[in-house]
Amino acid sequence: MLKKRIIPKFLIRGGRLVKGVGFHDNFREAGNPVSTAKVYDAYGVDELMFVDIDATLEKRVVTGSIIERVSEEVFMPFTVGGGLQTLDQIADLLRSGADKVSITSAAVQQPDFVRRAASRFGDQCIVVGLDYARTPDGRRRLFTHGGTVGSDLDPMDYAQRMQDSHAGEILLCSIDRDGTMSGYDLDLIHAISEKLDIPLIASSGAGTLAHCAEALEAGASAITISSMFLFSDHSPIKVRTYLSTNGFAVRSQLGSHS
Amino acid sequence: MIAIVDYGMGNVRSLANAFAYLGEEVVVTDQPQVMDDAERIVLPGVGAFGDAMRAMGEKGVIEPLNRQVMELRKPLLGICLGMQLVARQSVEHGNHQGLGWIDARVERLAPAPPLKVPHVGWNSLDFPESDWLFQGIRRQEANFYFVHSFHMVCARPEDRLATTDYGGDVTAVVRRGNILAMQFHPEKSQDNGLRLLQNWVNWSAGC
Repeated sequence: MLKKRIIPKFLIRGGRLVKGVGFHDNFREAGNPVSTAKVYDAYGVDELMFVDIDATLEKRVVTGSIIERVSEEVFMPFTVGGGLQTLDQIADLLRSGADKVSITSAAVQQPDFVRRAASRFGDQCIVVGLDYARTPDGRRRLFTHGGTVGSDLDPMDYAQRMQDSHAGEILLCSIDRDGTMSGYDLDLIHAISEKLDIPLIASSGAGTLAHCAEALEAGASAITISSMFLFSDHSPIKVRTYLSTNGFAVRSQLGSHS
Repeated sequence: MIAIVDYGMGNVRSLANAFAYLGEEVVVTDQPQVMDDAERIVLPGVGAFGDAMRAMGEKGVIEPLNRQVMELRKPLLGICLGMQLVARQSVEHGNHQGLGWIDARVERLAPAPPLKVPHVGWNSLDFPESDWLFQGIRRQEANFYFVHSFHMVCARPEDRLATTDYGGDVTAVVRRGNILAMQFHPEKSQDNGLRLLQNWVNWSAGC
């Protein structure tokens, strides 16, 4: 049976891990990417995710050398995102050891980008990130460039379009909930995972063990966790034990070199 | 020495890192001479079947591979798309000829909802516990990392060594003589994956 995935998501800024609130505020230092990856590998988490949060704004790509070092140390899947605008940049990251890439801004800016990337690297390689927030009229709208540039795009319609463009997975990030540890956006997770045939990775808002279960119950195939791992005493082992006790299929095995 | 065949598609670095971690000498190559010198060959692959066959053709590695695997009978390990390539044909984006080493077809996964495609994540295996490949693997902890939309359908059931359940049996490992291939990524399956790679190295040392 396929297991639900628990994925620590790390934000990279200037070669270090950070974590903030609402994409912009109160960034806190959270350690060295490579040593942190090793710790979570030992915890037996199911995947890792790295996002260079300034890459698009600064018009550059996430640092390949960090990825190379991670791939020398941990033997588990990881996804890398941040500033990807060309197919060659994706090829470089995959060659550095990444298994999947996440694409956010470029998917909005270049209507054909996801389709071309999926065609060259395979659908399963392409994770499309949806960063969204509620606008003053209460509707959810997509944002790009690390949450700084708004759009008229509705996340639900857009997710369907990305599936039609051969995205392998959808990574759903609520800017309003990011770093708040107040729970995932369950309505949208439920609506999108009901409608789509591709897996949904729910992100933004995990603060308690119950939040994790709620997101999976709503239909997510995987959940990402950042603040809760970095700034609370909830370890991946506690999350897994809780989920398993509550009837979710999760992996029991520990990580590498255990 | 292990030769990982590089035809421009696939996460060869992670594979090389995994074998290096196990203490094996490993070379990433597209050179027939290096494949000649190698005791074992690994065929990786990520992406689309047709593109991979075309890339292998352009790199000129198909003929050397045929020689190493089918004439010299060197141990071959295919991984993910590298597994599917050993089949006769695939229907991924049109009809494509494969290497044809295993009598099998590659077809699209079509599990009933709510199961999603691609099949992404850790899934359990149904495997023969006494087989050398699975020495040291505990059944209840035998989860491996899959990421694929197509799967291999074997004409000869005896070629299928292990399966996973994803809306029905899905071929996870095939083996025929010197050819071993895995749909999941052992190099991304933490301790269990490293163990399979080590078991393959140990077994192929006796070939």
